[in-house]
Amino acid sequence: MFHNSSQKKFWTFKNEDELEKMRCMANEKFRRKALESGKHAVSEALFLERYEEDAVFRHYERRLLDFCIAFKPVMPKSVVGTALMYFRRFYLNNSVMDYHPRIIMLTCAYLSCKVDEFNVSSTQFVANLLQETPAGQERVAEQILEYELLLIQQLNFHLVVHNPYRPMEGLLIDLKTRYPTLENPESLRKSADDFLSQAALTDAGLLFSPSQIALTSILNSASRAGLNMESYLTECLGLKEDKETLSKLYESMRRMKTLLKKYELPKQEELSFYKQKLERIHAEFATSSNKRKRGYEEDGHVAKEPRLTEEVGYFFPHFLI
Amino acid sequence: MDDQGCPRCKTTKYRNPSLKLMVNVCGHTLCENCVEMLFVRGSGNCVQCDTPLRKSNFRVQLFEDASVDKEVEIRKKVMKIYNKREFDFSSLRDYNDYLEQVEDIVYNLTNNIDVENTKLRMEQYQRENKDIIQRNKAKLTREQEELEELLLLEQQSNEQRRLEVLQEEKRQLQAKRKSKQALLDELEQSQLPATILLAQHKVRAAQLETQIEQQKQNVKPTSLFSTGIQIGQTVSLQPLPRIQEVLYQYKPLQVETYGPPAPDLEQLSRFGYLNHVRTAMPQDTAGGYTSALACYRAIQDAFSGLFPLKG
Repeated sequence: MFHNSSQKKFWTFKNEDELEKMRCMANEKFRRKALESGKHAVSEALFLERYEEDAVFRHYERRLLDFCIAFKPVMPKSVVGTALMYFRRFYLNNSVMDYHPRIIMLTCAYLSCKVDEFNVSSTQFVANLLQETPAGQERVAEQILEYELLLIQQLNFHLVVHNPYRPMEGLLIDLKTRYPTLENPESLRKSADDFLSQAALTDAGLLFSPSQIALTSILNSASRAGLNMESYLTECLGLKEDKETLSKLYESMRRMKTLLKKYELPKQEELSFYKQKLERIHAEFATSSNKRKRGYEEDGHVAKEPRLTEEVGYFFPHFLI
Repeated sequence: MDDQGCPRCKTTKYRNPSLKLMVNVCGHTLCENCVEMLFVRGSGNCVQCDTPLRKSNFRVQLFEDASVDKEVEIRKKVMKIYNKREFDFSSLRDYNDYLEQVEDIVYNLTNNIDVENTKLRMEQYQRENKDIIQRNKAKLTREQEELEELLLLEQQSNEQRRLEVLQEEKRQLQAKRKSKQALLDELEQSQLPATILLAQHKVRAAQLETQIEQQKQNVKPTSLFSTGIQIGQTVSLQPLPRIQEVLYQYKPLQVETYGPPAPDLEQLSRFGYLNHVRTAMPQDTAGGYTSALACYRAIQDAFSGLFPLKG
């Protein structure tokens, strides 16, 4: 259950500033590592800024979502939610410059299938990468297997993710049973679902508990339909006396809605610029920091040279100093 | 026993199941015939490892794996020297260390590892602990004697009992015969009518039977309990020391869910929750699934962690 889960203990944070701090630290760590490695063509301009990293992250997150939606056989929602959460958690402590999101996103999806007991063999999995040749698919499969352990390690082996889908179902059942004021809770389901899918693309999962997210989604869709559900909170959930909790609950719901509103997809031109920068960095530093280790010894990182197959790295002459 | 053949004459073992295998100090097997053969010619070398052997060193094999026999031999020899007992040591740890030493030695000698050093160690130990070894040897012989005495006593008492039972039976037979004889005599001589005599005889026979029964049931009083305590010996009847501990009190588990309380599994149907859950198909209920389980899980998940933490 969520209340004694590792998600509550280790992966739920107080506010967005904390998250931003962690991501900045990851960025700094990579910069320091790159500068210390003593490469000649290194300059500050080469590195990605925080907002650039964010844009790249959101882009690849979107791609992960699309991949999961287009997946055959059909992926259950919880698997998709888990994959997105893994992706988000991984890049909380690591920078996109360190590990390319292209591989990490596939590894997240693969691991999520395993953890959520959605049985897909690795060959079946990579067969969903339609733009690759079978040989390319095999290579991707190898890469996924190489990065899998790293991903698990960076998740601190906390693999169980509690998604808000089941709490939403539970709340709907509760509404139908105990809240006759609301005539047709089923009508709320569709927009609540949309809210949840949108919330999965934000930091909501790292800041609030899944039941809070579910409750917010239902109240949101109710207010959209013009229905007032305050009495549900006060009567059925027993919050009539507890004003403090009630106000805190409203507060968190407001914050969550703000998060959702703030979300936007990165613009295309800027995005391609950032992606080129990213490829450049990976080409520069990945070769030096990757000592080909077949076993997972030493600093525990399984590193591998990124295959620049899909997105060809352009070596722009005017980037050289 | 058929899976092992004699390495020399190979076939003879299978042909002759009564043939015994002998083992020597190097752990290799030879059938009886081959042993004779080998020593008739005067040379005494093992077929497989070429160690010089003596005929007396061959013992009948007791175990299927000859290496086990070899180890048993070695162990016997080692134990003759390393014969300390548990109470010779001050702590359990020391005793265990000593035992481990012994095992190491036996292992080394069996697998021909470091034989020289091991033998040196043994000799050294023997020299150092000569008196302890002697004392323990004496103790061992004493113990063995005692055991043998006990065994003898048991045997003797068994014998006696058997004889007594036999004698009893004989006596009973005799008594029966006598009464029969008496009946015949009386029928000859006495004046009473035959029926009365027969009736009398029957009564007497019945009495004899009951007597025999009683005797059988008469348990001979022994003087000794099976544990060795004398009957009638006063044993300390002090009550055992009572160990009072705090009694276990069951307290149901309290779990903090950080949310509103969820109804119990059993109450779900009563409150009408189950109307809103998909009913379980017969295939599902066969495995023990009920719709209440899914409903309960959903409700629990919905309420778990719902309230933000205070403070």
